[in-house]
Amino acid sequence: MAQSSDVSSVESVYFPIYSFLLYYSPCCCCSLPRPLSGIPSIKDAVWEFLLGCYDPDSTFDERTKLKNLRRYVCTVILDCSNHKLTFEMGIREQYAAWKEECKTMVPVVGSGTRSLWLLFLKMGNQLMNLLLKIKVSSSKTLLKTRGSSPMDALLASDRGFSAGLDVARTDRHLSFYEDGGNQSNLWDVLAIYTWLNLDIGYVQGVNDIRSPVIILFEDEADAFWCFERAMRRLRENIRATATSMGVQTQLGVLSQVIKTVDPRPDQHLEDLDGVEYLFAIRMSMVVFRREFSFLDTLYLWELMWAMEYNPNMFATYEELEDRNNNNNDTADDPKLLKRFGKFERKYVNSGKNERHSNTIAVFVVASVLQTKNKRLLKEAKGLDDVVQILGDIAGNLDGKKAYKEALKIHEKFLKEANRQ
Amino acid sequence: MGAYRAEDDYDYLFKVVLTGDSGVGKSNLLSRFTRNDFSNDSRATIGVEFATRSIQCDDKIVKAQIWDTAGQERYRAITSAYYRGAVGALLVYDVTRHVTFENVERWLKELRDHTDANIVIMLVGNKADLRHLRAISTEDAKGFAERENTFFMETSALEALNVENAFTEVLTEIYRVVSKKALEAGDDPTTALPKGQTINVGGRDDISAVKKPGCCSA
Repeated sequence: MAQSSDVSSVESVYFPIYSFLLYYSPCCCCSLPRPLSGIPSIKDAVWEFLLGCYDPDSTFDERTKLKNLRRYVCTVILDCSNHKLTFEMGIREQYAAWKEECKTMVPVVGSGTRSLWLLFLKMGNQLMNLLLKIKVSSSKTLLKTRGSSPMDALLASDRGFSAGLDVARTDRHLSFYEDGGNQSNLWDVLAIYTWLNLDIGYVQGVNDIRSPVIILFEDEADAFWCFERAMRRLRENIRATATSMGVQTQLGVLSQVIKTVDPRPDQHLEDLDGVEYLFAIRMSMVVFRREFSFLDTLYLWELMWAMEYNPNMFATYEELEDRNNNNNDTADDPKLLKRFGKFERKYVNSGKNERHSNTIAVFVVASVLQTKNKRLLKEAKGLDDVVQILGDIAGNLDGKKAYKEALKIHEKFLKEANRQ
Repeated sequence: MGAYRAEDDYDYLFKVVLTGDSGVGKSNLLSRFTRNDFSNDSRATIGVEFATRSIQCDDKIVKAQIWDTAGQERYRAITSAYYRGAVGALLVYDVTRHVTFENVERWLKELRDHTDANIVIMLVGNKADLRHLRAISTEDAKGFAERENTFFMETSALEALNVENAFTEVLTEIYRVVSKKALEAGDDPTTALPKGQTINVGGRDDISAVKKPGCCSA
């Protein structure tokens, strides 16, 4: 069944969404910021659909309403950050007022707001807790020394203040970030995300993911929601404990894939004490931002998202019970099945309902390693050589080629896996 | 200068790690030492990166294999795996940010937990060029280094100040320990240790903080 390695079949999934948006969605004509001029301006809207920001069956009106509500939630959070909220104002009263307003917006929006509402409540709780904590330790001084707002204080709790430093050193080569306003957008989106995901917190590398999103979206709140959805795919990778990082699971799968497809390099890497493929960690953590050029990375991301597209994503993210996990019924209906991305379709078709960890990214990493196979086998006499050989590839790989190769590896992997 | 030599032409190979908080300048110290390069556009290191450079000690060529690790605590589970086999370490803090100095203690513990007891450690106060922003005095840091029995130096990767000296001193000390150990064992150090193998400074040599810079020239 070699036909699935054909990229045109990927595009058959990808382009209907494009054309759909071109014809039916008047909201997508927003102009692109300069650094990406030349790229179709519907990119931001396509991303929102690919990442499950909206129900694929929603109307333009429904999306607008949801968008407004989301923007409102972001505004509230940023208001806190920007000091419009002070202890003297009485945060409880202020919060109650926000809640009322949010509540009145909810019924208007209809479906897809449960999670937003829960998020709003969660945010409120965290806000209260943090402010109370700060109050208890009577540290207005904490605010002064560690940052200018509760949000800054929260981020500063990251040992070593790496968050602030990293914002300043994200994609500095792009003229886009010479504008301080754009950098502060980067900071805001980071702050909101960290605020709402305390279990994960700030992890170095997420800036690399966030930066293209900030460039693509004019509205900060829209950028946040798109980023939030993109991070859903990466959350498990960046989750860390004292002894392990989530990404190691993906690296384990990578090792499996390489072993199955061609045992030679795997054996070689094992002999060199490849420490569980940790040398490939950067590719997984920042999803190829450092290995490919900026535009090639976006190309790869979009292809991966399109291939892994699941029309139920929105329902799952928004915790809509009735629409959740109905992949089983889908498997029998070819019409519904067609709505899935090509890669995802295979898993739905085989009736596997659980989230599979061999995402297409793993196969792209495998394909990158494969391009270096010869050098690795011939020249690598130690783990240092491996890291060096892979370090050399920074920024000069061909996205399209890597992707085609990844699909071939996937085919081969499935074939071999079925044989065993 | 003779500093940059053919890759495989060396007598000793020493593994050295760079650790310390995020944003203290580890990656730029490494690029300054190995490529005489400083980048204003450097990004956060994800996982580990790596570079080498050879220097001369006595009549021997010592190749340093330097591992640059991510500074964020979250990455420790992964970066600590790379400490194994290290015979030297530069523990870097930023002289303008006190918190990075406060965290040195934890990094030191991390290093000692994961490496051989005789590892040569140097405390490095980077960004010494930012004189008007200095938050940690040289004396405080020196005092700490003496108590912890580590070497100490202040550097500026930007101005190429002391970077060469810092790496060279650590490598010289490792070389001194290794060759002394080999002499005591009655071996010729060059033949006793096969080429390309990482050397463990396993002996009982007392590596003290007040050693003078020795024989090496880069």
